[in-house]
Amino acid sequence: MAEPTQERRTDYGPPHYEKFLPPIIKKNYGKWKYHEILKPGVMVHVSETGDKLYTVRASSGRLISVDKIRMYCDLADKYCDGYLRFTSRHNVEFLTDKQENIDPLIKDLQEMGHPVGGIGNAISSMVHTQGWIHCHSAATDASGIVKAVMDDLIEYFEEMKLPGKLRIALACCLNMCGAVHCSDIAILGIHRRPPKIDHEKLHKMCEIPNVTASCPTAAIRPATVDGKQSVEIIEEQCMFCANCYTVCPSLPLNDPLNDGVSIWVGGKVSNARHEPMFSKLAIPYLPNNPPRGPETVEAVRGLVELWAKNAKKYERMGEWIERIGWPRFFKMAGIEFQKEHIDDFKHAGLTYKRSTHLTY
Amino acid sequence: MSDALPKTPKLDELEKGKWPSFVTEIKMAAKKSPMCRDLLGQLEQSYEEKIGYWKHGGIVGVMGYGGGVIGRYSDLPEKYPNISHFHTMRINQPAGWFYNTDALRKICDIWEEHGSGITNMHGSTGDIILLGTTTDELEPTFSELQKIDFDIGGSGSDVRTPSCCCGMARCEWSCYDTMKACYDLTQAYQDEIHRPAFPYKFKFKFSGCPNDCVASMARADMSIIGIWRDDIQVDRAAVTEYAKNGMDIKADVVDNCPARCMDWDGKEIHIDNQFCRRCMHCINVMPKALAPGKDRGAAILLGSKAPIIEGALLSSVLIPFYKMEPPYEELKDLLERIWDLWCEEGKNRERVGEFIQRVGMGNFLEAIELEPVPEMIAHPRENPYVFYEEYFEEDEGEEEESES
Amino acid sequence: MAKTVDEIADAMYKLVKDAFGIKKLKPMDLTKAMMELYEGEVDKKTCKAAIKQLIDSGKCVYTYFGGSYVEIPHKEGSANE
Repeated sequence: MAEPTQERRTDYGPPHYEKFLPPIIKKNYGKWKYHEILKPGVMVHVSETGDKLYTVRASSGRLISVDKIRMYCDLADKYCDGYLRFTSRHNVEFLTDKQENIDPLIKDLQEMGHPVGGIGNAISSMVHTQGWIHCHSAATDASGIVKAVMDDLIEYFEEMKLPGKLRIALACCLNMCGAVHCSDIAILGIHRRPPKIDHEKLHKMCEIPNVTASCPTAAIRPATVDGKQSVEIIEEQCMFCANCYTVCPSLPLNDPLNDGVSIWVGGKVSNARHEPMFSKLAIPYLPNNPPRGPETVEAVRGLVELWAKNAKKYERMGEWIERIGWPRFFKMAGIEFQKEHIDDFKHAGLTYKRSTHLTY
Repeated sequence: MSDALPKTPKLDELEKGKWPSFVTEIKMAAKKSPMCRDLLGQLEQSYEEKIGYWKHGGIVGVMGYGGGVIGRYSDLPEKYPNISHFHTMRINQPAGWFYNTDALRKICDIWEEHGSGITNMHGSTGDIILLGTTTDELEPTFSELQKIDFDIGGSGSDVRTPSCCCGMARCEWSCYDTMKACYDLTQAYQDEIHRPAFPYKFKFKFSGCPNDCVASMARADMSIIGIWRDDIQVDRAAVTEYAKNGMDIKADVVDNCPARCMDWDGKEIHIDNQFCRRCMHCINVMPKALAPGKDRGAAILLGSKAPIIEGALLSSVLIPFYKMEPPYEELKDLLERIWDLWCEEGKNRERVGEFIQRVGMGNFLEAIELEPVPEMIAHPRENPYVFYEEYFEEDEGEEEESES
Repeated sequence: MAKTVDEIADAMYKLVKDAFGIKKLKPMDLTKAMMELYEGEVDKKTCKAAIKQLIDSGKCVYTYFGGSYVEIPHKEGSANE
């Protein structure tokens, strides 16, 4: 029960970050001069003051129990005066000014089952979504595929043997909580059948004008079914985006027989060299095959290794494909080019080849 | 009811291999949490039947707030009664995701007592995700969080929890203080985070340099990316050092410059800064020798989003350079003009980027009182269908320019 | 005569109550309706305060169905006992 002694507070926002900064960071805030990668997963930042800050980066696993967080805390207390941070890609980072702490810390992390790496020309941890662990609209699981893919690619996380950076991400439906649409390799959960309309419940749970307005291709129309207000769907116009389902739970698209994943390549967000790019469709459909999704694991490894073998130094997946051309990419990757690869939504014409810059 | 873990032969396969296993984590929490035992059971069933078993809730939350709690119910409550309710709480992370162990341990204690004991560190938007509790535990959890100064983040049609890179705390490239800006705007817009009043979500992301470690280009309605206006700083001795240590400066640095604005004569590097695109490549490769200039600030871009509904967008330039110093008055004024317009005219579930596409960037700029500049476009229009608004009228033999 | 926050909150509550089960209203719908109903007598700030009052008092709650709405508290369709 709520304690009556405590006054209820709202709108105070997050704690101020300064209280969580290690003293060496407070002292050198804004004064960092350069950094170097010392070995996989370890870098040093050197300040104008001459101070040195060492960072050890490990995969956190993203879904972690409170006991695991406590174990991280024990390590931070032991080696880093009680401070630690996380990164935008779900890595955990331990920061220390004591160089002698690096190797014992790495040893402890590895014993805990947390690989150290993800810095420099390597694969960093995968950004991903909730999947079947928590989401109502997931067309595939998330954590399971990520685990299987990263188990397989672990060498590229723990070592720095790639031509450039490689970012892999997974979103379990087109809502893309994980915003995978600008990744070197994106795994995207997809539906392939239109919603199954629950006419019994729809009129009670959903506002029909909202439902019809939610469809980007105007495939949903109001209809009376068995005397009840409901909707009908022009199935040929449905592109399985599931926006209607977000607005109305009586229009589920989940379908164990037809749901699966698609694989996208060549996106980036960094402005380094080439401007940011969207990922493009490489493989239109692979089946959901839990627990380890061998088809997906194999496809991703194939793409990583093809790029690693053929790209020039620093060249990201998208930069490499742009240089060699998409026909050569499909040929080298052994992916059959299909109708699904050709865009037919807005501005599709801009994606057609509008020149004779062809390779044979 | 037994405390034993359910049989999960499929999930057990995901405890093998070197990558950290989420199954092991859930099992760890399941020693104390009946919720996690049922979660394992339902997840195993999903793995067998290749389908999820969750229902989306839309009402639960804490008193007074309209965001930060995601309602979730099991579709199989008789079979898995302990996850009949399994709501998520989004907790606003500290800027830059820095913690001390004291604060983290307190969060762990609260979540062990009031929830499932499993978390995401962190969610895609940046919040601490506390994964799974019942409706009755939402207020008590919030009450405990109040005592340790952690507040709830955003969800729904509101300002989503802003996030930033570690900026000046641990990066020499940060062109403005990302953590300070992120904290300032988060505090300034508490009402907009907690009380959804927009057509749809609005995300901020603060990156210190064009490497954009928080992916603001792709995932923020407003992307605030650090940049500099003057010349790249060059430490000539350090360049020589790189060359001496075997770096092929022509191949690795000069030939990768997208503006072709640099040269290496075997002794010195020459940069024609007026053509430099601030892409960061040369600086990334030679961090000891090259650095962003001294006249630093940020480029403000607007409109990126994932595909739903009208297709994915990247952010595009709104202000090519802004000094980005507290209290960020001009930026806040501009932001509030954008919100006013979008709230007034935006459709349900229409992100600001889609809104701009619908009304046209030119009209949008006019409405928010911002002058068009060529930095906003990749190239001028290619079609001649121009909505001319200025023309001459014949007036008693004399031509006079008029504005409509 | 400028309307008070209480008056606006009452008028908004009536709108939300009358629309219950027929149409979900967003905070902006309520604000726009008030600006039209009491033209010149109410501003956005008062509307915002009125919505906050409705929510803080528990008379209304925020809901989310692909967008955020203000509704009368009720048991949701997907909720389990």
